[in-house]
Amino acid sequence: MSWFANTWEHFSAAFLENDRYLAFLKGFGETLKISFFAVILGVVLGIILAVAKYMAVNHKSCRPLGWIANVYITVIRGTPVYVQMLIIYYLILTARGIPAIVSGVLCFGINSSAYVAEIIRAGIEAVDRGQMEAGRSLGLSEMQTMISIIMPQAVRNILPALGNEFIVLIKETAVIGGITVLDVTKVAMNVGASSYDYLTPLLIAAVMYLLVVIILTKLLGMFERRLAKSDRR
Amino acid sequence: MIDVKNLHKSFGDKQVLCGIDEHIEKGEKVVVIGPSGSGKSTFLRCLNLLEKPTEGAIVFEGNDITKASGGELNKIRQKMGMVFQHFNLFPHLTIQKNITLSPVKLGLMSQAAADKRAEELLSRVGLLEKANQYPAQLSGGQKQRIAIVRSLAMNPDVMLFDEPTSALDPEMVREVLDFMKQLATDGMTMVVVTHEMGFAREVGSRVLFMDEGRIVEQNTPEEFFTHPADARLKEFLSKVL
Repeated sequence: MSWFANTWEHFSAAFLENDRYLAFLKGFGETLKISFFAVILGVVLGIILAVAKYMAVNHKSCRPLGWIANVYITVIRGTPVYVQMLIIYYLILTARGIPAIVSGVLCFGINSSAYVAEIIRAGIEAVDRGQMEAGRSLGLSEMQTMISIIMPQAVRNILPALGNEFIVLIKETAVIGGITVLDVTKVAMNVGASSYDYLTPLLIAAVMYLLVVIILTKLLGMFERRLAKSDRR
Repeated sequence: MIDVKNLHKSFGDKQVLCGIDEHIEKGEKVVVIGPSGSGKSTFLRCLNLLEKPTEGAIVFEGNDITKASGGELNKIRQKMGMVFQHFNLFPHLTIQKNITLSPVKLGLMSQAAADKRAEELLSRVGLLEKANQYPAQLSGGQKQRIAIVRSLAMNPDVMLFDEPTSALDPEMVREVLDFMKQLATDGMTMVVVTHEMGFAREVGSRVLFMDEGRIVEQNTPEEFFTHPADARLKEFLSKVL
């Protein structure tokens, strides 16, 4: 049997037989769903954390906010996401009858928020200090200067790094099978178990991740170029 | 117009201003000179509270601005224009938007009125055709003139200049100084930190010499440059003139 025919046979066994592609697509859908909600949660929490850190640096009365944010970020970045996921799942949520996928979204969202916070903080800090001074010297309040002058410039610093964080997050969700969620990786493992061939389904799963990442990279590239165009620097 | 009383400023352990008392009248053009590290920029930045004094009072038009609340301070700053060494134009906005942003945001003018005012000011500096360009497309001298125009759009009572020509190529210094001279002639109250001795002599109504956080000597330009009394000032002038 030729190599090609052999490969096809493996592929068809892993993907087409018994309508397994449906399971793959469903798993793929779960992966996208978890990633999507986790990204949103991560960005929302990340913005809150970044604001807390910014306020702590610039206003003495907000120092405690900064300490809280720093402890949070240190703990989240200092422990493995898999362990965080198991803790959230076993100790907090299953006991209350909340579905595992919610645990997953919470876990990856919280995990991502720590990185997003640092990305946003660094993006804001990279804007020249003189910009804030110029805004304030014209009589604008700190908030007005932040919104009209600092943030539009910071977004340009933040966006590329944030795109990378999204890509990392999508790939990280592959461990969610550890808390019984049937994402595309877990589906591949299950198919492998029933067809006695793990390699082919896992390769199929890998291609699916790769496709999302390539599409996302292209979209981000387009978005960045559009920002650069309005910029004309 | 501006009354500075016993102004002190330190950064950590380092004392930068060691007790400054100064009175600036309406219409005066006060030029501040001195060696680098003498505290002249810090003094200027204290006048609109970009630096918070550690001690002392700054009374502007009857209000002690060191005691003003955040909102009051924003109001006061609208009346004190500031021009920076590095221009600090907003790179993501067109020249027109740079000028109209704050009057419109602060509700002082409608967008239409602000646009009209911006056009007037731009034609005055001969840069009307740059209105829809971005700061990065301008030369240093043009940027600095736009920065001055941006401050003027707020109709300030006093203009503070922090080494406005120090970051410029030599051939662009003149266009900025000429514009500042025009402002002076129009009666604008000005406080200028600079190394341009010619400007100090020609435009200043009073010249201050600062060294080590103090105003060591001050006089009318003629007396200041022809009969300096303080030893440090003599040494400084011998180096820069």
